[in-house]
Amino acid sequence: VDRPLFGAVSWTLGNGLRVVLAENKRAPVAAHYLYVSAGAGEDPAGKSGVAHFLEHMMFKGSPNVPSGAFSRTVSGEGGQDNAFTSRDVTAYFQIVEATRLPLMMRMEADRLGGAIIPQAEFDPERNVVLEERRSRTDSVPQGRFREAFDAAMWGPQHWRGRPLIGWEPEIRAITRDDLAAFHAAHYTPANCVLIVAGDVREADLRRWADEFYGPVPRRPVSPRNRPNPPAAAPEARLVRRDPAVREASFLRSFAAPSATWGTTAMADPLEVVAHVLGGGPGSRLHAALVESGLATGAGASYDGDTLGVGSLTVFATPRPGTTQEQIEQVMAAQLARLLQEGVSEAETRRAVRQQTVGALLALDGLGAAPRMIGGSLAIGLPLEDVEHWPARMAAVTAAQATEAARHVLAAPGPATAGWLLPA
Amino acid sequence: MSGTLFGVTLPVRRGFSVPIQLVEWNGITAWLVEDRNLPVVSLAWAWGGGAALDPEGREGRAGMAAALLSEGAGDLRANAFSDSLRDAGIGLGFGAGRDGFEGSFRSAVDALPEALAPRPPRHDRAASWTPMRSDRVKARAVRGARQAQETPPGLARQAFWERPFPGHPPGRLATPESLAAVTVEELRAGLAEQLRQGGVMLTAAGDIDPAGLRAAMAQLFEGLPAGRAARRAAAARHGPLRHRPAGKGGRAVHPALRPGRPGARGCRLGSLPGRLRILAGGGFTSRLTKTVREERGLTYGIGAGLDLLFGRAIVAGHVRPTTPRWRGVALVREGWASMAAEGRPRPRWRRRWPSWAAPCPCSSPTAAAPPRCCWAAAGRARAEWLAGAATASRR
Repeated sequence: VDRPLFGAVSWTLGNGLRVVLAENKRAPVAAHYLYVSAGAGEDPAGKSGVAHFLEHMMFKGSPNVPSGAFSRTVSGEGGQDNAFTSRDVTAYFQIVEATRLPLMMRMEADRLGGAIIPQAEFDPERNVVLEERRSRTDSVPQGRFREAFDAAMWGPQHWRGRPLIGWEPEIRAITRDDLAAFHAAHYTPANCVLIVAGDVREADLRRWADEFYGPVPRRPVSPRNRPNPPAAAPEARLVRRDPAVREASFLRSFAAPSATWGTTAMADPLEVVAHVLGGGPGSRLHAALVESGLATGAGASYDGDTLGVGSLTVFATPRPGTTQEQIEQVMAAQLARLLQEGVSEAETRRAVRQQTVGALLALDGLGAAPRMIGGSLAIGLPLEDVEHWPARMAAVTAAQATEAARHVLAAPGPATAGWLLPA
Repeated sequence: MSGTLFGVTLPVRRGFSVPIQLVEWNGITAWLVEDRNLPVVSLAWAWGGGAALDPEGREGRAGMAAALLSEGAGDLRANAFSDSLRDAGIGLGFGAGRDGFEGSFRSAVDALPEALAPRPPRHDRAASWTPMRSDRVKARAVRGARQAQETPPGLARQAFWERPFPGHPPGRLATPESLAAVTVEELRAGLAEQLRQGGVMLTAAGDIDPAGLRAAMAQLFEGLPAGRAARRAAAARHGPLRHRPAGKGGRAVHPALRPGRPGARGCRLGSLPGRLRILAGGGFTSRLTKTVREERGLTYGIGAGLDLLFGRAIVAGHVRPTTPRWRGVALVREGWASMAAEGRPRPRWRRRWPSWAAPCPCSSPTAAAPPRCCWAAAGRARAEWLAGAATASRR
């Protein structure tokens, strides 16, 4: 567990762009990811959805690459490309035959330097974004509920309470200038991380990075100011009835330290806590709710690799005939047991083993290295955090896990419980 | 191909092939992609049958049996079994499709003896299933069937298969009622009918040699009855599909549309995958993406691909329209019609072919990918097709 996971090398260009190479020679293929350290969490107040809308418009041309030509070129060369926006990052990627990597770098550097955001394509693309929102959220009961739940817990205008894609009225209000301003503020080389994984030599990548990304001018980086969470949840309890829902579901979420916020040393122990509590069959909630026949599913999750406050969530889907009270009582009893008894050494070792034993499988493909490394570097964590993640987890003790659980479950802070029920 | 694009000189591609060995054990032939770069082994195997063997009124039986196999084996309780696999980093799963029953596992090579020996992912341990365990799996399956009816795509999928195949296996989908009716005895009977040594297709990739694979095959299949599962039903002709809303209004504010057409036999696909990719497949560059999404903003996602059913291809498309009277339908029809009128792809389109003609090694070079790709290719291509320039060798 002491060996670095990917053995990646890293350096920084003169304009501030961080470059990382995770060499992998299994096939003559290269994955090329550009992470921008700005996501929906940086959306301006009252303009939720800007980061995501800009991600769409980044495919509409740059000074030397006409609108649509980027994806056509990738497809024509037999590759794949796409992009994604999270709260913390916006990332663009291509997977191509390795000899086409310089071509990808040329095109990506061009749009990093200057996106055109053509006005003529702005309104049709806004319709696409609105369609995306309808298909992912508005027409999916769980999507509607999850959006309302986040707003109830953090507030509809807090960066954690806003939907990544944006509130519909705010998407409609976004202007081209909003996107251009976001690009100018955040799409600067020093605010980006370039990650290449695959059959690529370091000397070649250094040369290509200098040639293609080196000329992109250095610009000042806008600070990321994530407000702290509210002292308490605006709504501590949310019950939604929905005519489309056929199966009820329950969620309960607590604000928690993350790898970048609060007592950051609790982030790894909280991974253990979530696993002990609800990490699949063998977990406490599975035994108490699923094995007992009260629920068809139950579990827990921890969102800690994030910039700013994190969260610990427990959930359950009751079986027909099980009451809401039964689910909440059993859930509360399990949380009380965690507070009182803490986490045992055996549970801690099991959780660590099960979470890290598959680390080797992360090397069995090109996607894991860029996603793990990019996601961490883009929120300010060091490369070593990813490379030595299994060793870090192995060092977690039962006492640390118990302390972290008590800190989250007993401390005052935003917490919300919610039911999605058939109408 | 070489040339210059955006000022970048494109060198000649390096070329790539996947050497495939044919490994035999007791009449079963496996495809093996030996790859020593990483100490990981991946196996995938399948039988014909699956949901097509579900009796009338018991739709979903094969899927439930697969879920039970994934939960446990031997005398171990489900939790203990799951824990033992996760402790060793072994990924194991079974699944039932419309016309096949599949199993797979992936593990570090160090864990292979553990994966196969003391707690084998065997599929003949149905005798240990208890009513309580099957009841739990059934409740989960019923929940899944009910949740599938909560969204427009779920409703559209149901209509897509039920309407053109009424009464035929692909048109008989699992419902909460049919799942609830399945008993433990019926699950056991279904597996006894399904799991035979005959007709097994198996692929393997990773850090394993032919001898090791033979040993694994013996662990997996020794003791299964000889012979094949009942003959699969011949595919009924896919009836005409018209644009009909599948939802019933209410909160289904965003209906889904699945256009479909019967296709060629799997082994005679010819240029069809290429034509589909140009029309509606793969990323942001298809014609329908351009006309429906990019130019008019009428949808977020639109695409089409080939679905295999009983050895035949079905062209299945999907789009999520804004309203039941969605004006994009005409554009979709125009796209299909123009593509049909043009016939075979023009030479300039062939430049795009690498992306679909050899997708396995280039798009996802993982130990898991070759088994999946080989399985997808099974029955419609020879090993040499996947191997590229290399010749498959029998070991």
